[in-house]
Amino acid sequence: MIGRKKAGPSYNKYGWAFISIAFALYLMFTIYPAVASLKLSFESFQAGKYSFAGLANYKRMFGDAIFFQSLKNTFLYMIIQVPVMLFMALIIATLLNSTALRMKGFFRTSIFLPCVTSLVAYSILFKMMFSLDGIVNMVLMKLGILDAPYQYLQDSTWARAIVIIAMLWRWTGYNVIFYLAALQNIPKETFEAAKVDGANAVQTFFKITVPQLKPIILLTAIMSTNGTLQLFDETMNITQGGPANSTLTISQYIYNQSFVYAPNFGYASAISYVVVFLMIILAILQFSVAGKKD
Amino acid sequence: MKRGLIAIALALLAVSMVFAGGSTEAEDGQKTITVWAWDDNFNVAVMKEAAEVYAQVNPDSGVTINVESFSKEDVFVKLQTGLAGGGTAGLPDIVLLEDYVAGKYLNTFPGSFVDITDLFDFSQFLQFKVDAVSMDGRVYGLPFDTGAAALYYRLDLIEQAGYTEEDMQNLTWDEFIEIGKDVLDKTGIPMIVEIANNKTTLVRAIMQSCGEWYFDKNGDISITNNNALRAAMEILLEMRDSGILYEAESTEGRAAALNNGRVASVVNAPWFISSLRQAEDQSGLWRAARIPRIADIPESINASNVGGSSWYVLANSDVKDEAIEFLQTVWQGNTDFYDTIMLNQGAMGSYIPGYSTAVYDAEDSFFGGQKINALFAEILPEVIPVNYGGYVAEANDAITTALANLFAGRTDIDGALAQADAQLHNQLGR
Repeated sequence: MIGRKKAGPSYNKYGWAFISIAFALYLMFTIYPAVASLKLSFESFQAGKYSFAGLANYKRMFGDAIFFQSLKNTFLYMIIQVPVMLFMALIIATLLNSTALRMKGFFRTSIFLPCVTSLVAYSILFKMMFSLDGIVNMVLMKLGILDAPYQYLQDSTWARAIVIIAMLWRWTGYNVIFYLAALQNIPKETFEAAKVDGANAVQTFFKITVPQLKPIILLTAIMSTNGTLQLFDETMNITQGGPANSTLTISQYIYNQSFVYAPNFGYASAISYVVVFLMIILAILQFSVAGKKD
Repeated sequence: MKRGLIAIALALLAVSMVFAGGSTEAEDGQKTITVWAWDDNFNVAVMKEAAEVYAQVNPDSGVTINVESFSKEDVFVKLQTGLAGGGTAGLPDIVLLEDYVAGKYLNTFPGSFVDITDLFDFSQFLQFKVDAVSMDGRVYGLPFDTGAAALYYRLDLIEQAGYTEEDMQNLTWDEFIEIGKDVLDKTGIPMIVEIANNKTTLVRAIMQSCGEWYFDKNGDISITNNNALRAAMEILLEMRDSGILYEAESTEGRAAALNNGRVASVVNAPWFISSLRQAEDQSGLWRAARIPRIADIPESINASNVGGSSWYVLANSDVKDEAIEFLQTVWQGNTDFYDTIMLNQGAMGSYIPGYSTAVYDAEDSFFGGQKINALFAEILPEVIPVNYGGYVAEANDAITTALANLFAGRTDIDGALAQADAQLHNQLGR
């Protein structure tokens, strides 16, 4: 206590002054909208006026088939895409970390490159690739696999698959970077010890690499889960939620409720808060499954 | 971490408002009327033309008209967020709204638009347009362009199947499908194009040709007992099953299919002609006719409407009197102006006295010398007014979903209608 007093009032004053701007912006653009939207979720917007609606917005969700459909779609993306992506990222990171690999810089850049593309641009690119006269149909027809071009985006299974493929392409490299960074911190001795003990590459990967990357795997899992729950650009641009809402995500439904349909900001906020709630639950689950101390 | 899209949207809105700007009054007393519209070659150009006409007619008005161009979605979203936020910041003085979405704004933001019922002589405008811009008997929008539905078809392909121009007049949908099957047989080309994930253009055209809509006159949902909607679904399904329906992936895909000669006809509005004209090599091959009617529904006529938009003056604008005077001066009584925009932009206005001018006798070589504007002018007065209501986007989505399930064989027409009805009831909280 005495020491802190000596550092003096000016120490504190400057400290607060330095963070005040950032904190004010944080208050204004993050805390305030978050609190205001919580309040909004208990209100209804009719004939130009907001009025308190109690839990009506939350109750409405239980009878809303499209909301459940969007929830189902989003979870489907999450359950398939997140594990596949993280596993691929782990393998790629391990390969890129291998001492035998040449031209590391080139491969690392190539893997990371998709992450710098704009979400809208790459989504439109995937839409074009899978369109009627797109490259996929062209190649398949040239190879004689297809007789006539196929409308992938009008088939709900394919449409979902394309969204997942697009996300894998865009986000795998992003996670590779995290794993690569973490791999640098794994003591080389552990790999050498494994080698001495006669472990093969697969055993080393599962018994040495993965356990030591556990904290970072947990981090990427939580980040990817959050990202997928907020998925918007991809489905908005590739499928617009179709066919028959089979690719509609929660975020896109929130957008529709706010801006496409007669504005229902209260209901949209209520859905947003359900998403927040789901994220918290999922994060707790992931922590309890993966975060246990050995 | 992002806490919900709303927060981001509001933050973005705050930023966009800074840049959007509103009406401003310069120091020299010169006033600016800001207008929002969305198509540089069409309604933006038309409004700029109107501004020039106004400057000539009324050079001492002290008013500058500034037409700002956005994408259509941006106009709607910016207006929606601006009105929801309250105040006038970042809002225009005059805004163009599609008739299909106007009801949403009039319902949701009452008092935001000037009641112009007594400021114009609306008997001079098309009745169905006036109905579309009215709520509870009061008029809020000045009717601009119309979407007189026409059947554009390739005469050469029809002739190859053994039909003539004469055979394409005043058809029923059953007759149309029969012709379509013959065209497919003889030429291998599908008869009609519609967008795969949104077939509502045809649905809407067919419904209004029967005087029906997603909602009845009282604004109540009309889906399960809507004979015209049921018939539209049957027609679409039959066309698909017989192979005469070409399902394009997008609006671009639809234009490409037509321009490349992969499909023989399309039902759409007058502004669609500009898409057809892109294929210069098809000049003279196209003809336009009235859309088919439904034989089993006595109310059904060979006339309908798809889309169209109107001008609205914002009630909170500080130059609303000037804005109204501008609209009164140019958009009412001045048939020369309507001639100009018809000739230059192909804008099919809603002002009835405008239809009797020489422009409508012009022969169009792209349509083999057909008097195409005269056809629209003939169709428009017959269009049956319907109550579009405030929830067209919701209804379109419900029907699109139901149609996708119907086409995928997951349900029959009764099931599809029941599904759409349930979805719409849920969306409207009824």
